[in-house]
Amino acid sequence: MFGALAAYKLAGSGDTPSRAFTGLELAAADSGHTGTCYALDTVLIANGLNRNTVRTWSRPDKHNDGEWSLLLENVVQGSNGPVRVFQKFTFTRHGEQLWLTDVDASEGIPTGLGQNIDGLLDGPHGMKSTPVDRCRASNASGYLFPPKN
Amino acid sequence: MRPRSLPLVLLAACAALAGCSREITRQQVAEFVDQADAAARKRFAPEICELRGKDFTLDLTFHGYEGRAPSQMQITRKLYCQQAGAFSRLRQYKLERKSLDIHMAMDRRTATVTAEYIETMPYFEPDIVPKTPDDFTHFQIVESRDESVVGLEDGDLRFLSTHAEAHQALIGKDHVQLPYD
Repeated sequence: MFGALAAYKLAGSGDTPSRAFTGLELAAADSGHTGTCYALDTVLIANGLNRNTVRTWSRPDKHNDGEWSLLLENVVQGSNGPVRVFQKFTFTRHGEQLWLTDVDASEGIPTGLGQNIDGLLDGPHGMKSTPVDRCRASNASGYLFPPKN
Repeated sequence: MRPRSLPLVLLAACAALAGCSREITRQQVAEFVDQADAAARKRFAPEICELRGKDFTLDLTFHGYEGRAPSQMQITRKLYCQQAGAFSRLRQYKLERKSLDIHMAMDRRTATVTAEYIETMPYFEPDIVPKTPDDFTHFQIVESRDESVVGLEDGDLRFLSTHAEAHQALIGKDHVQLPYD
């Protein structure tokens, strides 16, 4: 039943990483893993990922709190009926940074790490979100981080 | 009866009761399906969701009105419940059950329910955000054949899984009288 439902969205809930994990700075996917100046939780909120999709956190290794995957799911009305659309991001802790280490997604959605980092940063850049502490100084720098005037 | 025998008797009685409580009857299953259909007609998302087991999955094969290759998807309970929440926003909806067949498992702990339905509801064009719930030109009529496994979970009947095959047709908004409720 409900096979013909159109696309709608709702937030999810469940097991989640600690604030100590999501509060770490997200790193770029460049060779130097340049800091982006934004914590992961800031990035997720700025992209509206906490309210508009079904969100499921999981740990690839149940004994490792330093790696978490975030699955975002929705059902959209495709050209010939409802279709499940998903993106799955895996973040791994490296010191005081989080590296995006894997992206899986529905057909047609980019899975490149760099492309996804750039896309994720559109949110905090557009909303002028608060950067992490180290980037609040006037001379702070970060990957694609807008310089202060 | 000597007092020291009592624990053994109680244990045996409890075991027997537990054995009975893990079995389901055809009547229970039929009433459960009626309850689920009523929840759908009300579009009451919490109940629709509650009637699905924690590991519930829906496998859907959907034949759209344009006759292209069918879309297929499998969703978990979490995403299904999201859809139920969205479903509750429909103002016009009709559900008719055309048939119901209940096949009890040998151990009577689960049943396979096969049901045929016709649903009528507004059709909202993809990629167009409706301005109001009345912002549509056609109703969609979806005929589906659902095959569900029903069983006990924490003492209550639940849908454990559903495989559905649905066929969609469109009909002009003026050709259907569907009350608002």
